[in-house]
Amino acid sequence: MIRWILFVFLVLYIVVPMLMPVIFSFSLFWQDILPQGFTLRWYEAILTRPANYEALLVSLTVASSAVLLNVLITVPAAYALNRMTSKWGQRLREAAMILPLIFPPLVVGTALLQAFTRPPLALTGTLWMVIIAHTILGFPFMFRIVLAAFQTIDERTLSEAAASLGANLWQRMRYVLIPNVLPGILSGALLVFAISMGEFEVTSMVAGFTAQTLPLRLFQQIRNDMRVASAITAFLIYVSFLSFMLMSYLGARMRRLRAL
Amino acid sequence: MSDITVTVVRKPMERRGVAWLASFLRAEVLLLLPFLFFLGLFEVYPLINMAIRSLFDTNGTFTFQNYINVFTKPQFRLAIRNSILFASAASLVGGIVGTFVAALAVRLPSRWRNFLLSLYALPMTLSGLVVAFAFIVLLGRNGVLNLIVRRAFDLPPTVYFNLYDWPGIVMVYAFFQIPLMTLSMAAVFENLDPSLIEAARNLGARPWQVWRYVVIPVLLPGFLAGMSIQFAGMMGAFGTVLALVGMAKNLLSLQIYSHASESTYNLPQAGALAVVLISITGFALALLSWGARRLARRGT
Repeated sequence: MIRWILFVFLVLYIVVPMLMPVIFSFSLFWQDILPQGFTLRWYEAILTRPANYEALLVSLTVASSAVLLNVLITVPAAYALNRMTSKWGQRLREAAMILPLIFPPLVVGTALLQAFTRPPLALTGTLWMVIIAHTILGFPFMFRIVLAAFQTIDERTLSEAAASLGANLWQRMRYVLIPNVLPGILSGALLVFAISMGEFEVTSMVAGFTAQTLPLRLFQQIRNDMRVASAITAFLIYVSFLSFMLMSYLGARMRRLRAL
Repeated sequence: MSDITVTVVRKPMERRGVAWLASFLRAEVLLLLPFLFFLGLFEVYPLINMAIRSLFDTNGTFTFQNYINVFTKPQFRLAIRNSILFASAASLVGGIVGTFVAALAVRLPSRWRNFLLSLYALPMTLSGLVVAFAFIVLLGRNGVLNLIVRRAFDLPPTVYFNLYDWPGIVMVYAFFQIPLMTLSMAAVFENLDPSLIEAARNLGARPWQVWRYVVIPVLLPGFLAGMSIQFAGMMGAFGTVLALVGMAKNLLSLQIYSHASESTYNLPQAGALAVVLISITGFALALLSWGARRLARRGT
């Protein structure tokens, strides 16, 4: 019994704070204990005010690019590192996990800020810098998930089995590896997308005025207009929530495939 | 005669060299190249560049002044002290509560356990600003919970839970830290084989002996690894504090942020502060992993 009371309490601990901005964003005003009125006006403000709408577009561009770059860089690396059985492979895998702990986003941001100020790579303050920063931030998450996917399908044994049946590299990729690892890659992509959409700390350091993302806009609005801020906050919660719904769906699918 | 011996000795050497080169140029290594190139150019090079530049002043003359500042200026010394205390407090809260949540989660039927763990994965992607906003609405000066408590006990408006001081800030960060610990400890608890505990009991171990010799040695390495993640994350955190109190609180992370991108713009100083932050985090991680290894050895 106590176990279930605790369970309900623990669920509420996450759900109640997350509901606050959502309720706030749909109400006309909320000065007392209960909010009053229903409106979609604050969401409208995201789409109709040019500064907000542009920030939304910038955020979507940055998040999609960071996902794409991460897939291109991390998936081949995870494949290669999973096949390295030597001590070096083990060390590289460990380093890829520990590095982000020792160099937190704040430090990476400080470093990126001063590394690319002059041509040929005068990137500081541009959209490119934001995309690069988000790719760096997302890579540990992507790497962990994709590496785990390669490990759980036992990629080496599968590839060898396919090769012994006469499949060439392309066929092994097309019919064996990619279908098996795809849920993992998609999960990683969703995670990187959600993190990138909400990222504020590094973005606020490396982005100039040309690359205002939605969280940067939110930071200004928390001081100016709580209503619009609530709509942006709620939107970011929906993005995280939807990503996690899709990820648990993919996770369930992966488990089912393995059970077959 | 001697010529023959030389060729006999040399040939395997050469072949080994070629084989080594061939293994180095295998497809797998080529697949690593984009990753190494990207990380080298956009993470390793900027970090080295930052460390070097922290040894020069804004005019470009070599100096240790930025580091001397870190350890002599009262604002920086206070920032370091605050950061270590804050990160320790937040990690302890997250670590202990998160461990209890994980212990509860693994005792639930698998359906509800999966639900709880998926829910606790959600904060990982949430923006620090989102969480700050949520808690301002919930527990700000006129937040919903404060209003309810004030009404219920008929208290004056001067009574409220202060979100904008250290305990409040730690509580908001706990929203990230507790779930993070829950996720890592849930995996550790699942590895704790119940038959081990039963075996110990059957052999006549007292409850404290079961804990001392069976449960804790299994859990502790995972717990300390989780604590490393907590502490490292908290040393670098600043987004939520910035949204809650602006620069009113003095943290090392906030000092770096303000020297890197706000009014007190001084990049070499920010670099020196960042190097100090990395050193503190690195030292704490080394200490925790040393402790975990020592305890693992003693436990077996």
